Amino acid sequence: MPAVIKCVIWDIDNTLLDGVWLESPGGPPPPDPELTQVLRELAGRGILQALASRNPPEAASYVQDVTGVRFAAAECGWDSKAAAVSRIASGLGLSSDALAFVDDDMIERAEVAAALPAVMVLTPEDAADTPQWPDFSPPVVTAEALRRAEMYAARQRRQAEAAAFGGSRADFLRQAGTRIVIGRAGPGDLARLHELSVRTHQLNSGGTALPQPELAALVSSPAHLVATVALSDDYGDDGIVGCAVMARNGVGSWPVPVLMMSCRALGRGVLEALLAWLGRTAARAGATGLTVPCLITERNVPMRLGLAAAGLRAPAGPVPADGRVLFARSLEPPLPDLPGWVSGWDGAP
Amino acid sequence: MSLPAELAQLLAEVTGDPELAALPAGTPLFGDGAGLDSLRGTLLLRAVRARYGVDVAAEDLNLDALETLGTLAAFITAHGQGAAG
Repeated sequence: MPAVIKCVIWDIDNTLLDGVWLESPGGPPPPDPELTQVLRELAGRGILQALASRNPPEAASYVQDVTGVRFAAAECGWDSKAAAVSRIASGLGLSSDALAFVDDDMIERAEVAAALPAVMVLTPEDAADTPQWPDFSPPVVTAEALRRAEMYAARQRRQAEAAAFGGSRADFLRQAGTRIVIGRAGPGDLARLHELSVRTHQLNSGGTALPQPELAALVSSPAHLVATVALSDDYGDDGIVGCAVMARNGVGSWPVPVLMMSCRALGRGVLEALLAWLGRTAARAGATGLTVPCLITERNVPMRLGLAAAGLRAPAGPVPADGRVLFARSLEPPLPDLPGWVSGWDGAP
Repeated sequence: MSLPAELAQLLAEVTGDPELAALPAGTPLFGDGAGLDSLRGTLLLRAVRARYGVDVAAEDLNLDALETLGTLAAFITAHGQGAAG
């Protein structure tokens, strides 16, 4: 499966605009018609769009106005494009292999390619063809995908406020009006759950894409519990950000073969709430333990941190060659508390 | 400055929470102690790798080194450049 591009970062001069912003005395140059089409098409597929330009911020506002596309991030300034691309990636919480960078200037392209080898670096001519490329063609476009730019804008407001907030992390989550709703997955959730399985890496235990028929079988299976996690706060509504599948295994240990969450949920207490909910739900039904099989990758360290924080441990010793490890914990009390902002399904069959 | 105190400084920097700069070496990092979660933990591990050249995630499957700043300091000392083995 090709890597999925989640964000395209565009240069402005002689790329999205048909000319150079600062050198057009008769008014700003018009947008490039072909690339404007591409921009709108990709945004309509739920792929984020961003700007990196050696121009004043007014140039970014102008491009937003004339193209009608909402940009998730804009870096305008005179330092290197590689630095701008890095800042956009960390601001949006994306890893560099989820990015494409489009610039007409060969030097800028070479600089980004050298500094960030995982970024897909494209000429404007290449970019015109991207709607036909599989990396730019998400299999499904969900409600969450279409609202993605809006959610990232909310994320930037939230991060700015969190940085200025003096109290603890829990205090900030409470003050931000964090709401986590656990739901029982139904047929209407299959497209979003499939999308999560394809798009999530940092908070994904299994590391495999789940086709919709497989998810449908799990949702209708009486032997499994499939929970969705919806997240919102006063800054914005992120919709369904996560999912867990747990096997109902009588009085033994209950395995969690699927545990995945959008990186938008990072730092917002969602993974710890879901793990607490899974443990408490299993314990209530008589389970004695909770296990999470995990494929160890360089990218899912955040998942391992979440598992460690929830008290799950893998057997000591080196990681097997296939990278598959079983994290486990006993469900003897005390179990982690469920924060007051978590509500929803009780997990009953 | 001792290594745990240096790490407390680093934790305060990456989380933007100045109170953590005074975190005692024996306070649990996960849970109520320092509120280390997947985001803060990732930022801390990244900063540790950049400053001390020790990739904790690659060498400690269970991330037990993150129990306290004291255990993290001991791990860095044992695995850092110049450490035997």
